[in-house]
Amino acid sequence: MLGQRLLPWDYGVRNLFRRPTRSALTLGGLTIVVLLVLVVVGFIRGLEKSLSATGNPNVVLVYSLSSAADIENSSIPGRTPALLAASVDGVSRQQGVEYVSPELYLGTRISTANMSEPGMGLVRGVTTAAPLVRDQVQLVEGAWPHAGEVMVGRLVHSKLGANKKDLAIGQQVTFDGRTWTISGHFTAAGSAFESEVWAPLAELQTTLKRQDLSLVAVRMDSPDNVADVDIFCRERIDLELKAVSESVYYASLQKHYKPVRMLGWVVVALIAGSGIFAGLNTMYGAVVGRIRELATLQALGFRRRAILLTLVQEATLLACAGALIACIVGLSLVDGAAVRFTMGAFMLKVDSVGIAVACGVAALLGVVGALPPAVKAMRLPVVEAIKSI
Amino acid sequence: MKSFFLLALLTLPLAVGCGSAGESPATAGHAKAVSFDGSKFLLAEEPDDAIGVIEAREEAEDGEPLVLVGRIGGSTNPWIEGRAAFMLLDASISVIDEGEECEEGEICTGDCCATDRANCTTLVKVLDANGQLVTVDSRELLGLKESDMVVVAGNAKKDDSGNFVMLANGVYIRR
Repeated sequence: MLGQRLLPWDYGVRNLFRRPTRSALTLGGLTIVVLLVLVVVGFIRGLEKSLSATGNPNVVLVYSLSSAADIENSSIPGRTPALLAASVDGVSRQQGVEYVSPELYLGTRISTANMSEPGMGLVRGVTTAAPLVRDQVQLVEGAWPHAGEVMVGRLVHSKLGANKKDLAIGQQVTFDGRTWTISGHFTAAGSAFESEVWAPLAELQTTLKRQDLSLVAVRMDSPDNVADVDIFCRERIDLELKAVSESVYYASLQKHYKPVRMLGWVVVALIAGSGIFAGLNTMYGAVVGRIRELATLQALGFRRRAILLTLVQEATLLACAGALIACIVGLSLVDGAAVRFTMGAFMLKVDSVGIAVACGVAALLGVVGALPPAVKAMRLPVVEAIKSI
Repeated sequence: MKSFFLLALLTLPLAVGCGSAGESPATAGHAKAVSFDGSKFLLAEEPDDAIGVIEAREEAEDGEPLVLVGRIGGSTNPWIEGRAAFMLLDASISVIDEGEECEEGEICTGDCCATDRANCTTLVKVLDANGQLVTVDSRELLGLKESDMVVVAGNAKKDDSGNFVMLANGVYIRR
């Protein structure tokens, strides 16, 4: 019954190929709009993933009480790791090795062989205890750094604005007046560590003429034991330490970047809005040029609702095709592209959420963009419409 | 007959499993209820001769009995998550928002006042009969809220580096 009232499905499909230039231009416009949405959502998701992947609820960061949330400004005594391991119960241990990672963390200017000006990079002085605590870190190429060597995360080139080839194993980087040879590359499951350069702690301390540490990262047996490190820091006020769960620390940074994320969503809304207006404009043009055809369909006995549905079908098909192309382009070109920000660098993430948002916007563009011009065209009396040029 | 035995054999471990599963949550729940009983740490009457945190920091001796009065706070988060421990601020000091200019008797929650805060606050640890810190959040155990004025009875713990902690065995809440 309903099928008799509606226009055939392939009528709408064939119509798209009847005006190929117009369809191609509309498709191009829709693809660009959906791709823009995908890029912005990818930016937001990438930023969120980078910060959330960095925090581990079992790991507690101990740093200076007076350094605010900025670990780079922190300076704590070099004996802190030993004190923590000896005083706090619940620290993870295996075969007599405590999962306590003393670290020196700094932002400094780093240059590679072909850089005209050094870029701002992040350096972490670590010991072999670091991978015990930062279990998402994986050495994917080369070797652990020894004297005079560093290993670099996979996003360091983006953070520095350097050529990726200049950070190959065996190449050299210079910072704080010393040249270091790259011994290996590491990944860290998309976390902020991937934009860091890791150097042997003792070497870095010698280079910087520092005896202190920036922080101690301690891995606890359970997230409940994080409280015991907190108690230790609050009891020993002479050490002027502060303990923060790593996940809480990076969640607080996420709060810091909330305005950026909000702005991102506003941009998504603006792009979608402008896309809808552009779609409206195109569809008005498309429908106006087909008034006689639509009136003829009415004269043949098709209901206005059926013709309206066909117009929406055409626009939605185009929008969905645009979404499909945008998603393919996004997944092949945008996904994984590195973006530099203050905390380091992160990768744009085209994930299920991004694709869902992009497809939702595309569907909205198709339906909302087609309805008003179609409704307007349907309001014209059939006789007048058939006479129109 | 064979199939009956087979069925019985298969059902037996299930029955045993169900029995033990049915018991364990109840037992666990009972154990939890006992450990959550904070009434034994709440004092019915306010102890006499309470002194403030600043005075206690200066004058208290290690191990001596002490009654301390103060307000829960003095830190962005005065609670120790999952432990019967909290930060106590000297009653004469008031806390203002971070970034505001501090006048006398005021501290802010920012890191600029971290040292000042350390001088007028102390950690209160509620210990059980065995001298162990109770591993229940003090908000759940004692029904405490931020800014509550409390009087705690117990012993001072002090070391040569100037660290001072209140080891409490009773808490009175002024309401």
